[in-house]
Amino acid sequence: MAEFHIQTKKLNNNIVFIAVQGFLDAHTFEEMEKTINDLFDGGTYRLVVDLSKLDYISSAGAGVFIGAIGTAQENDGNIVLMKPSPNVKEVFDLLGLSQIFPFANDVDGAAKLFA
Amino acid sequence: MGEVHDRIVITNDTKFLGFVREFTSRMIRQSSLSREDENKIILAVDEAVANIIEHAYENQREGTIDVECQADAQKFVVTIRDSGQQFAPEGVEAPNIEGHVKAKKKKGLGIYLMRLIMDEVRYTFREGIQNELVLVKYIGGKPKTPQA
Repeated sequence: MAEFHIQTKKLNNNIVFIAVQGFLDAHTFEEMEKTINDLFDGGTYRLVVDLSKLDYISSAGAGVFIGAIGTAQENDGNIVLMKPSPNVKEVFDLLGLSQIFPFANDVDGAAKLFA
Repeated sequence: MGEVHDRIVITNDTKFLGFVREFTSRMIRQSSLSREDENKIILAVDEAVANIIEHAYENQREGTIDVECQADAQKFVVTIRDSGQQFAPEGVEAPNIEGHVKAKKKKGLGIYLMRLIMDEVRYTFREGIQNELVLVKYIGGKPKTPQA
């Protein structure tokens, strides 16, 4: 079973790129939540989350982004989701989140959404 | 029932959710269910078990959760049993997702997903004995109820 990994990288324009790998579920969501909350606490509200290597997401995982997007937007930021795998995109579609979150195919495309 | 039948028992710890998903995946692949349904049904079972882990056993009391899969040519049935406290999904309303986002509400979507994905969700509670949650997915679509 693939483990759960999160890597963050600072980009220009106060954007942080977050690469998420593995399974985001009721067991791992707190790690994702902590990563985002730590960024918010440090004044970063522009997040690009790369989901291309995320194998699976449950409602607990999606709930992290649901709970955070409002705070990001209230602070002139946003949470842009990048390249979700078909399984992960299916869950966002089922929950009706694909109309709420902005999606991008690459970092440049995501960065333009903050312009 | 027949063709596919197996069960696993886990303790109420989210670290075993991956094990539940792998088991469900293996059962689905042995059944006649479409591979297109695999991710969704794994999700429904994951949500059901995660919900029991969160709600059924108070004060972090250790308990077990039994997950049984049975399938034949008509349907794929998952029966989940625990002996924790009652939590009836019937009482949970469908969420307004925009309201969730606005209220920054992170939880309360699992039962909605379970109902959305499965053709039947049945819950039986026998106090002090066992809770039983049955999730059914019909293969090739839900059969029409015979007309009287």
